[in-house]
Amino acid sequence: MARLIRTEKEVEGRYEEVWTVVEEDALDQWPAGPLEVVGQPAQRQDGLQRARGEARYTADVRLPGMLHAAVLRSGVARADARAIDVLPALELPGVQAALSCEEVDFLDAEAGYPGAAVAAVAADTIEQARAGVEAIAVEWDESEPLLDPDEAIARGQLVSESSSYERGDLEAALAGADVVVEAEYRTQSVLHNSMETHQAVCHWEGDTLVVHISTQYIWGVRDELAEKLGLRPDDVRVVCEFMGGGFGAKNGAGDYSLIAAELSRRTGRPVRCALTRREENLAAGNRNATIQRLRAGARSDGTIVGLGGEFVNAVGWSGWLAGTDGPMQMLYGVDNVATMLRGAKLNSAPMAAFRAPGFVEGTFGLECLLDELGGKLGIDPLELRRRNHADADVLDGRPYSSKSLLECYRRAEPHWDRRHEVRARSDETWKHGVGLASQVWYGGGGPPSYAWVRVGSDGSMTVVTAMQDIGTGSRTAMAQIAAEELGVSLAQVRVELGDSARGPFASISAGSSTIPSMGPAVRSAAGDARRQILELAAQRWQKEQRTLSLKGGRIVCSDGGSWPLESLLGLLEDAQILGMGARGPNPTGMRVLTFGVQVAEVAVDVGTGEIRVGRIAAIHDVGRIINPLGARSQVEGGIIQALGHTLSEHRLLDPRTGTVLTQTLDAYKLPTIADVPEIVCEFVDEPDSHLTNLGAKGLGEPPIIPTAAAIANAIRDATGADVRSLPIDREEMLRALAALARAKERSGDRVAARPA
Amino acid sequence: MEVLTPRSLDEALSVKAERPDARPIAGGTDLLVELNFDRARPETLLNLNEVPELRGWSRENGTLRLGSGLTYAEAMRAPLAELVPALAEASRTVGSPQIRTRGTLGGNLGTASPAGDALPPLLVEGAQVELGSLRGVRSLPLSEFLVGPKRNALEPDELVLAVRLLPSAQPQTFMKVGPRNAMVIAVCSLALVADRERGELRAAYGSSGPVVGLVTAPLEERDHFADTVAAAASPIDDVRGTAIYRRHALRVLAERAMERCLA
Ligand SMILES: Cc1cc2nc3c(=O)[nH]c(=O)nc-3n(C[C@H](O)[C@H](O)[C@H](O)COP(=O)(O)OP(=O)(O)OC[C@H]3O[C@@H](n4cnc5c(N)ncnc54)[C@H](O)[C@@H]3O)c2cc1C
Repeated sequence: MARLIRTEKEVEGRYEEVWTVVEEDALDQWPAGPLEVVGQPAQRQDGLQRARGEARYTADVRLPGMLHAAVLRSGVARADARAIDVLPALELPGVQAALSCEEVDFLDAEAGYPGAAVAAVAADTIEQARAGVEAIAVEWDESEPLLDPDEAIARGQLVSESSSYERGDLEAALAGADVVVEAEYRTQSVLHNSMETHQAVCHWEGDTLVVHISTQYIWGVRDELAEKLGLRPDDVRVVCEFMGGGFGAKNGAGDYSLIAAELSRRTGRPVRCALTRREENLAAGNRNATIQRLRAGARSDGTIVGLGGEFVNAVGWSGWLAGTDGPMQMLYGVDNVATMLRGAKLNSAPMAAFRAPGFVEGTFGLECLLDELGGKLGIDPLELRRRNHADADVLDGRPYSSKSLLECYRRAEPHWDRRHEVRARSDETWKHGVGLASQVWYGGGGPPSYAWVRVGSDGSMTVVTAMQDIGTGSRTAMAQIAAEELGVSLAQVRVELGDSARGPFASISAGSSTIPSMGPAVRSAAGDARRQILELAAQRWQKEQRTLSLKGGRIVCSDGGSWPLESLLGLLEDAQILGMGARGPNPTGMRVLTFGVQVAEVAVDVGTGEIRVGRIAAIHDVGRIINPLGARSQVEGGIIQALGHTLSEHRLLDPRTGTVLTQTLDAYKLPTIADVPEIVCEFVDEPDSHLTNLGAKGLGEPPIIPTAAAIANAIRDATGADVRSLPIDREEMLRALAALARAKERSGDRVAARPA
Repeated sequence: MEVLTPRSLDEALSVKAERPDARPIAGGTDLLVELNFDRARPETLLNLNEVPELRGWSRENGTLRLGSGLTYAEAMRAPLAELVPALAEASRTVGSPQIRTRGTLGGNLGTASPAGDALPPLLVEGAQVELGSLRGVRSLPLSEFLVGPKRNALEPDELVLAVRLLPSAQPQTFMKVGPRNAMVIAVCSLALVADRERGELRAAYGSSGPVVGLVTAPLEERDHFADTVAAAASPIDDVRGTAIYRRHALRVLAERAMERCLA
């Protein structure tokens, strides 16, 4: 039965209360562990298609008569675009239309960051469009940019209201602590740099706007465009068959789709607006930089009595406050916690959600601070984390729907035990060490989400839902779930997705929510189809329905009889079995979270400051694992992306003008395969018995969260130096080593000093 | 854009004499980046890939002649790698397999970047650059060929034909610091020869001054040599690193290179 409930909805750590229609989950969870299809490693169903270049990405969409749009962007950090004249552009060959911030409200004349869009041109070719953009006359009224986050806070330049949190009495707790540590951590701004840049192709079919877009949220784009263009939601059709990555930066419609839609409306032709790699590095979102001033106090037995943090997110020209304060509030069972989070409004590009926004940054600070604390206490880092384990949710005392962090710690032990052997490899030049860090994150998903399953007389089973596969392998995972429920092989199930006009509503693919939101809906639809198949089978073979089940492609009766599925489905002819499914509600009164721990092994060249990461062991608890192969890919991808964040990636701004100095992949250093360590990946794989019919949580984000802190802690283990600022490039490493040498000199510790 | 493809050296030199504005293209790994970034818009390209005289390497009375078309992949292979080991080491650090297969010595000289990885190993081995035009062939020490950042001594009608050097057969090495493990332009680099025969240390640094620079000292001055190298360099701050770091790293690399070559 459908119910209307008021429930919390969470995306990437942001909760809102919403009214939601939910359908009760009629299905019991499957038993734990690998099943026939679910829990078995499955290659991507579309792997060959992708490898052969047959998969159609938005970048491949070429419609007849399609025009190309180029965008005029501000070249400086802060300027007003005045007296924009697009007429010179319109006189150029091939140019079909132009628009500017003077006539449309989705472009802003106040260009608050380098790369802010103020006008656009559509032409027959992209070169003609670019020539058109160059021809546009603008008077740029420049002013002094604000670039320093602390200064912005001091001046009251905030993007939104600051967020403060308090439980217990932090000051009293710290005053009574045996050991107190205090440190400032900094994280830099990094860029998503998805393989496929942000882009959309728009065209009009009568009053219907058809949008091909590289997106993480088909339905969100539909609603956003409908609202901004004054259309009814279903007058916008959004298509995304294949997608080349988003990492959080493609949750919304973006100005590029509005530009394409408007230019298409004016010209009557399809318009493609695709960001170049440079534009991607300027104006497609970023993980904002942070400053974290942290304190921790503990009793000598290792009980942490208080945690405090003053956080500044360097949000940029616009954006929201990602939860840098979240890990400090949620990770440990600490009674006294006070945090303050402020968002600096700056003349730099707006932030966008980026794979565990806030938590990546906040975990770096918190988990490094914990090791600094452990060092003073003389307590082993793993032991310190065990002693402060939170047994129930620390925000409001709710029980966890499931939590196996202690089991993660237990499984981390053999990796952690390697540290003696690893350290022993150290010589004059290379110092080796091991570090670890824990992780907490959301990832429970939620309603609403729907799927349909269609079974034909030829035995084909098709899952239909208007979700997107953002490159994580969702197609394959959904097929596995349906195949398991219908007792057929994976090859027998296909998944049709990616089109808002051809399937029911599906959730956003962000906040590690695709599997936990969509998976239960798919199972529920397959369960509905299974029930109908068994109803027919009961009539066909004169059995009681409750004695029948589907297994191995057969209808199996508890009395020992069995019949091939085709012998029933073959009778259908043009009739079809249609299953419908919905995502059930999350368990009320419980906190659904994901957990994990990573152990990193590093070597530091104390002469040049070079850091090599040799091995990372990742143990995560995300409930049931649907596809171990796909899950492993998520862990590897998350760790590699974290490695770039930790060691080499840095969106550099000219400190005076705010110009972006790293606009190409030549200047912006992503990790290469030669930088990738051995990655050992383990899952607790214990279904969350309270969470829907699947017991599966999301895994897109957890693996990127603890890596930076684990590496930094390993560096401290290797060298004794505290690295408190990302990226830990060679200069940063040498700075930390020099600070250590100075500290040792002051304390007269001559024994440990390196011989000249 | 017009692409001219001569089939012999004579033909190439005539084209270059007639069309001095024609930009030579060998591997294209620098030139195509220039085109792509819109830093250059030559009307004519002079494709050197079909000129057999520029390819490969040879030995004449002990002197090595490395054709301007020699690729990094070729420089990494024995027996050449054993004759100029520091050049082979440097070649292994260049870009990726694709870049090493396409990129050439001639292109590295043509670009004349202070970060060119082939340059320091050639400089410490006293390489001469052979330049040719219809007017004839001339030879310049590499240090004179490199006249400034991304500037060389080529006349408009000239091509780089080859690099000549007499292998010292002395212990030598190349070291490079970059922000990651592959596909990096050097933050700083260093080639060093410990020449026992001549009783001399020779080091050349890259990415630490407007041009790749050579520093020599008698072997006896080993103890100060790392400082001498660091002092000789004139690095700047840029997106890849600061001057202070570069000087520090040069000192460390020089010290390590000497440890390795004088062991
Ligand atoms: C991804 C990438 C990574 C790279 N990594 C490195 C690296 O690690 N280290 C490094 O040193 N370089 C690196 N480079 C730069 C480049 O690969 C080298 O400089 C290479 O040696 C250039 O050789 P080429 O044959 O490709 O030159 P081209 O691009 O063909 O030419 C380069 C220049 O030399 C001129 N030229 C070429 N041949 C001649 C000739 N015979 N006579 C006169 N002029 C000539 C051309 O006109 C042009 O100006 C990298 C480049 C890329 C794209």
